Amino acid sequence: MQVTRRGFLKLSGGLSLATFATGLGINMAVAADRGYALKLDGCTKATSICHFCSGGCGLLLYIKDGKLIHLEGDPDNPINEGSLCPKAASLEQVAYSEERPKTPLYRAPGGTEWQEISWDDAIERIAKKAVEVREKTWVKTDEITDAKTGEKKVVPANRAEGIAVIGSAEIDNEESYLLSKFARLIGTPFHEHQARI
Amino acid sequence: MATPKMVFVDTSLCTGCRACSVACKAWNELPPEKTQLITSFQTQKDYTYDTWTYISFHEKYENGKMDWFMFKHQCYHCEDPSCMKACPSEAIYKTDSGYTLIDHEKCIGCGYCATNCPWGVPMVNPQLQKSFKCTGCIDRVENGMEPACVATCQPGALSFGEKADMQKLAKERLAEVKKTYPKAQLYGDNIMGGTTYLYLLLDEPKVYGVPAKPATPISLTLWKDLVHPLGGIAVGAAALAITGGVLANFARGNYRKKAEDNDDINAGQ
Amino acid sequence: MSPSFGRGAMTNSWQDMQNSECFLIAGSNCAEAHPIAMKWIHRAKAKGAKIIVVDPVFTRTASKADIFAQIRPGTDIAYLGAIIKYIIDEKLYDEFFVLNFTNALLKINKDFKFEDGLFSGFDEATKKYNYSTWAYQLDENNTPIKADSLDDPDCVFQKIKEHYSRYTLEVAEQISGIPADHIKLIADTFAAAKPGNILYALGMTQHTTGVQGIRCYAIIQLLLGNVGKAGAGIQALRGEPNVQGSTDMANLNANLPGYLPYPTNAQVTLHDYAVSFGSVQHKPLVALLKAWFGKNATAANDYGYGWLPKNDPTNMPIQPQFFNWMEKGQFKMLFNFGSNSSVSIPDRKMVAKGLSCLEMLVVADIFNIETSRFWEEEGLNPKEIQTEVIFLPAAFVYEKAGTMTNSSRLIQWKDEALKPLNDCLPDLDILDRIFKRMRELYAGSNDPKDAAILNANWDYGEHADPFLVLNELNGYNDNTGQLTSSLAEYLNAPIGTVSTGCWIYAGVTPPGKNLADRRDSSDPTGLGLNNEYAFAWPGNIRVLYNRASCDANGKPIDPNRELIWWDSVQGVWTGNDGPDVIDKTKGPDTPEGKQAFRMNPEGVGRLFTASYTSGVSSSPVPVDSIAAIPVRGAGMVVDGPMPEFYEPIESPTTNILNPNVPTNPMAKIVSTEFGDPKDYPYVLTTYTICEHFCAGGITRNIPWLNEIMPEPFIEISKNLGKKIGVKEGDFVEVSSIRGKLKVRALVTDRIQTLKINGEDAETVGMPWSWGFASLNPGPSANNVTMNACDPGAGTPEYKCCLVNVRRA
Repeated sequence: MQVTRRGFLKLSGGLSLATFATGLGINMAVAADRGYALKLDGCTKATSICHFCSGGCGLLLYIKDGKLIHLEGDPDNPINEGSLCPKAASLEQVAYSEERPKTPLYRAPGGTEWQEISWDDAIERIAKKAVEVREKTWVKTDEITDAKTGEKKVVPANRAEGIAVIGSAEIDNEESYLLSKFARLIGTPFHEHQARI
Repeated sequence: MATPKMVFVDTSLCTGCRACSVACKAWNELPPEKTQLITSFQTQKDYTYDTWTYISFHEKYENGKMDWFMFKHQCYHCEDPSCMKACPSEAIYKTDSGYTLIDHEKCIGCGYCATNCPWGVPMVNPQLQKSFKCTGCIDRVENGMEPACVATCQPGALSFGEKADMQKLAKERLAEVKKTYPKAQLYGDNIMGGTTYLYLLLDEPKVYGVPAKPATPISLTLWKDLVHPLGGIAVGAAALAITGGVLANFARGNYRKKAEDNDDINAGQ
Repeated sequence: MSPSFGRGAMTNSWQDMQNSECFLIAGSNCAEAHPIAMKWIHRAKAKGAKIIVVDPVFTRTASKADIFAQIRPGTDIAYLGAIIKYIIDEKLYDEFFVLNFTNALLKINKDFKFEDGLFSGFDEATKKYNYSTWAYQLDENNTPIKADSLDDPDCVFQKIKEHYSRYTLEVAEQISGIPADHIKLIADTFAAAKPGNILYALGMTQHTTGVQGIRCYAIIQLLLGNVGKAGAGIQALRGEPNVQGSTDMANLNANLPGYLPYPTNAQVTLHDYAVSFGSVQHKPLVALLKAWFGKNATAANDYGYGWLPKNDPTNMPIQPQFFNWMEKGQFKMLFNFGSNSSVSIPDRKMVAKGLSCLEMLVVADIFNIETSRFWEEEGLNPKEIQTEVIFLPAAFVYEKAGTMTNSSRLIQWKDEALKPLNDCLPDLDILDRIFKRMRELYAGSNDPKDAAILNANWDYGEHADPFLVLNELNGYNDNTGQLTSSLAEYLNAPIGTVSTGCWIYAGVTPPGKNLADRRDSSDPTGLGLNNEYAFAWPGNIRVLYNRASCDANGKPIDPNRELIWWDSVQGVWTGNDGPDVIDKTKGPDTPEGKQAFRMNPEGVGRLFTASYTSGVSSSPVPVDSIAAIPVRGAGMVVDGPMPEFYEPIESPTTNILNPNVPTNPMAKIVSTEFGDPKDYPYVLTTYTICEHFCAGGITRNIPWLNEIMPEPFIEISKNLGKKIGVKEGDFVEVSSIRGKLKVRALVTDRIQTLKINGEDAETVGMPWSWGFASLNPGPSANNVTMNACDPGAGTPEYKCCLVNVRRA
């Protein structure tokens, strides 16, 4: 029975049967003169960076026909030299996880369940709400006490007081930066993230 | 011809992170199993047909000094494996590089390998009627890659290379750690004909829950070397009866943890 | 670290750890939380390095230590203060370093005092310090006056000596539970084996005295001469993959990208801002405004400064307070990109209460996490919760191109390796689409409040291109019309002629190149500098403050670890690493060439964080010369110029050093309920473990990780197990005055009963990575923790609260 592991995985559709496929992988070389097939044959490689702690360990993804075949440490990254902790070593299980929502989801006020919505719908609802909240919570000026003279004075505030933004230490620099820019452009200085915690 | 390889397991550097176990599953496409905390940080209880390597944790507190030992379990790939001796269908074979492998076309899932291994490594998948265990990542090794567990190990507890180099490294490390752990010793070099996974332990094997002197039972040796050569599987019922006796004795010898414990783990999937 | 060294960043790198002779790992469980550290620590250990671990629990890191000490949570400053005293008393300090590279000799204002638990200048009413006495004695040129010797009673060195004279080994033992001889052993070992390296993480920061604990590290390393050298330094092991980068990008309310102070409403004009913060901040702010508003930012319109929202200092909630601000009605809408507050915020019932008061919650994440699903939690009635929730499925790290900055400031580029799964989108596209839609909705508006949106420079293509954003961070030079080619080019360009979205990233993408994408991992020195791999800010320097690795003549002090040196023939600083000096052409005999800590106004490392602004701001400042206000202010530690020990907010004992001020008088208290040790006698400390990450939103959805760590647990000592009749594997109820949970107990020798102020004291420990959603739901430790924060950093005290534990 000459089936590749991946092929067998698809055929069987069962995890425990996939195990058997693995066994067959070794079985492909019963005789010493037979070569041991490598499942990475024919894959292209792409590097990435681990999503977890701040080590910045390099990942190496083996890809065939746009599908992730295997993920392990990038031996050419001088930080981890191919090694990975268990969290990073498990990352191929995120690529096709059934737990990942497939579309934007909406939960109505008082609702008890999620409904799938389109991106256009989601963006429209969000943008309109942000505009609405800006309109009704805009703070144009503050009254402050001048540090030197002790006098009260009215100064520009220019704030969307009702909008808060929590960013992330788990997204890329470009995204973090754009979020920072976005928050301040729409008028909210209330922009924080989990760096404190 | 491939030269003999070796994996050196330096338990003094193992942090018990279990990346080896995950990397093994990732490379070999093994499914996760349902687990729970057993004792200390241990969650994988034993070998199963879907768990080929796991870490056990051993806490020792003496005279105000705490030690927390971690031990990576996988097939030892013995030079003289009892599983191979016990296999009635000649499915188990050795490679030039030192690995002990199961040919699943020949494997009939009888489980004799499992019960005759002094560490109880191979496990039969009852659904598939085949026996499974660590392959040493033979497919990676034969293609110039390190085994998945070795490649992923961050604290440097696992090293892979030519057998002679690894033996030298092991001796150097032993000399070093003996300064602080007088009971430190190598494990694997003089058992079962020498193992392809060689360990540096900081304490006696029993502290890690492994047998100090694992051996092939004499009755199995008798059967394999005297009876079995006469006719392989065809020897039939008589030989199998002897084997059965061997197995029974072996189970009482307590080389294995209770079989039903394993069933619990597998049943939990 | 910033108030001590001038930058708040990890000083060295992961690879550099191989150069250390000794590690003090305290406040970090790196074998579990930063496993890559162990690779390099073990390389050093193979060469003979010693590992010292101080932790409330014997961790997997501790299992690899030469010396382990179990400490009562929250008492680090007590034993570190004792180590500081011991180093000074036994003259273990590096005199050359102390004299040349620290402010030890500078004289302190004679009115400075520490009395009865408080530094001079405390205002009881506002609970804040006035810094006026925490200052130097200045000469007529506004320069601090230097003492002739370390024996001068006014000098910083003597202030440190006097302050820590109360911190005897015995007092430290009473407070921390670490035996006095053990503290001495740690001090002797660490002072003897140089270079010595200190590693910390959230174990040190998550206290109401977190910043001051790190200040202790800075003082120790400055005294021992362990800064600016290969194998030395203080490694702040950041908790998340891009927390360095996201902080560089100012996802915090007090900053703009590049650590610029955020303007408050008192700084009405750019001129006001420049007067407050000097040209060092004025120039990068103009460059940032040019990046944000492009051609619409001109000198005539203050570069659009007026369009920025201004902070109201009386209303600046930090993230742990956001949920109260929702409850009291200020926040109506929350954008939440990639964080899981419902699991991660202490005293977490406040989170659901807050989110329930919103009109709309927008969550972008990989999995549908507890925060977006908050209304589904058992015990809540979703029908009563009026919050609209929109969940946006985000692309995972390898499904998008871009950079992340690791703990050692290394900016690494990655390509899109896989197409995003299903309909997932990178956060970049999500933001781009939301912003563009808002801009459309405001098209034609003349309302001044919409000017920032309509004048914004925001064009990253139809599908936002991260490389264009990275180029914006790098910045452009108006004179050449090109990308700025280096940090030096940015620094030398006249104000208003360069743009950059984050000035410390200048030079990352010079014309035609992407230095973050460099893949040459060669290491000719064997020191792990890897200078040609990716790009480290600032200016590709791998070891910060490396001027301090040289002697007075600019020669490397350690011949085996040469970083930089003064080339007297060429007249430049050069070397294996990028020289961290003000001006590469200013030699070691010039004032600039002596400075190892160029970001501090004094140019030296600060043992005592004095209030000081260098230069003289002319007063009144002429309007047309704001580009030349030559002042640089020093970073301050708001709760004292030297660290002082205070008990955690919830403590089982009294403060024997400061009986009248037992806890940090400036701590930001957010929780409303506090337990009595009579009812809640045990100290709970919380942490993460190797198998799960932070709030677990991702890792609890990874089956292989759930196999190797399927459930949360609480670790208790065998004494406590016996006392409450609990065996290993039993379930227990853990309760504080704020909440409770049920979890499996591990009864272990890895936690011992401590003797604190003469009484037995029990510590219990629990990982916090669980929540009610995911493939692997479990109780959140933050049901019971307390929300009270460090006054400077705003970090909550997750590491100590009082609980009770009983059989469930």
